[in-house]
Amino acid sequence: MLDDGRRARIVAAVSDRDSAAGVAGLMQRLCLFAVDQMDLSGCALVLMSGADASVLASAGPHARTVTTLQMELGEGPCLDAYASRAPVLLPDLSATNANRWPAFAAAALAAGVQAEFSLPLSVGRSGIGTLDLCRDTPGMLSADHLSDALVAADIARDAVLYQQYAPGDTGLAQLLETAGSDRIVIHQATGMIAAQLDETVPNALARLRAAAFASGRSMYEIAQDVVERRVRFDE
Amino acid sequence: MVRQTTLARAFVRLADTLVSDFDIVEFLHGLSTDSVEILAAEAAGVMLTDGRGGLRLIASSEERMRLLELFELQGAEGPCLDAFSSGRSLQAGAADSRIRWPVFAPHAAEVGFQRMCAVPLRVRTDIVGALNVFRGSDVPFTDDEMAIAQAMGEVAAIALIQERALREHSLLTGQLQAALNSRVVIEQAKGMLSEYLNVTVSDAFELLRTYAREYNRKLSEVAGEVVDRTIPSAALTSRPG
Repeated sequence: MLDDGRRARIVAAVSDRDSAAGVAGLMQRLCLFAVDQMDLSGCALVLMSGADASVLASAGPHARTVTTLQMELGEGPCLDAYASRAPVLLPDLSATNANRWPAFAAAALAAGVQAEFSLPLSVGRSGIGTLDLCRDTPGMLSADHLSDALVAADIARDAVLYQQYAPGDTGLAQLLETAGSDRIVIHQATGMIAAQLDETVPNALARLRAAAFASGRSMYEIAQDVVERRVRFDE
Repeated sequence: MVRQTTLARAFVRLADTLVSDFDIVEFLHGLSTDSVEILAAEAAGVMLTDGRGGLRLIASSEERMRLLELFELQGAEGPCLDAFSSGRSLQAGAADSRIRWPVFAPHAAEVGFQRMCAVPLRVRTDIVGALNVFRGSDVPFTDDEMAIAQAMGEVAAIALIQERALREHSLLTGQLQAALNSRVVIEQAKGMLSEYLNVTVSDAFELLRTYAREYNRKLSEVAGEVVDRTIPSAALTSRPG
């Protein structure tokens, strides 16, 4: 990003020298900044790897809606933005181009999300996650807001990457711990289902997802049943 | 008189490195030979920082042993070190050199170098090394020549800094992805083990850790192999005694 003025302005807006919250605080303030300044109903900063997504910070009434829906359904614009490392901008989820993700679009609309914008966090040829913005009314982000969002994504990405080497600062490690904690049950259940069905882990995950979809419950709820041994998949 | 086409070619070559992968040594060798040609000099070399305030020779216009030795000496004193630590270009004739670098200068004279200049490889406050150019006779570098040398030094610095950033970034993203993935696979392994061995998830974790310790392997690697069944779960049951 060559526009130093924009980045400096945003950094100033999200800096808090008195805060002891470190990286976690910065991420949170970036999300709050986005929600406040860009007329959003939700903003989430998500780290992704092949296996999973971890929400580092989120804000707004739809803070985690979009991320959760995508992990439940296994499809969505954020996953695509991460994989392709290109922004995915959906100003109107009810419009035809949202049919790339039929299940996601329908579920998001049902949850009150009408527009969604995913910006990849990427470094060279690798993606590390996304900055996801959503709105409860249709409409494209203004050019100015989009530019701000791109810069915010860069700030978040840089903070994550360089925190890995901050001496004595375990902020990032702790952040990753917390960020992933709500999915621990899902991973454990996936392993158990794979054993019960003598299946591969990806297939077990697909079975878990299918069971959730069919029953109208969340994967998290079903996973809890599995881990607490109320439900088996081989019966 | 600077040859315009050579100069143009040198800058195109430098600019090329900004958009593609390149080999540092080859790149700096090219910079050295180009400098010699463009600045009507005898020899040139590039030293880069070792990260601890010192400099190392990375490439030179020729492999002549005496030239290499001359750069060796510059570890302690010399034009490269001055340009690197001050961040400013400089040049010196035979007499000046003897005053500035009493240990280094006689050796340079012995090799036949009567005049030298050095420019930092620098982008704003980031100084990554220095380019050193030698002439066989004490003909001062003109202002134009110094400006050209400085510009070449700057473009080279940009390429080097970019390459360093890319390398660091790949390392960092690789580590981040590995950290994220290993947490997932460890939890999956705990679940799988607890099911196969009929133990609690926390007991399963202990078994994983014991196995990893016993075979001196990373926990995440062991977990990965449990999950893809390379290691059968039965192999992790605690042994008697």
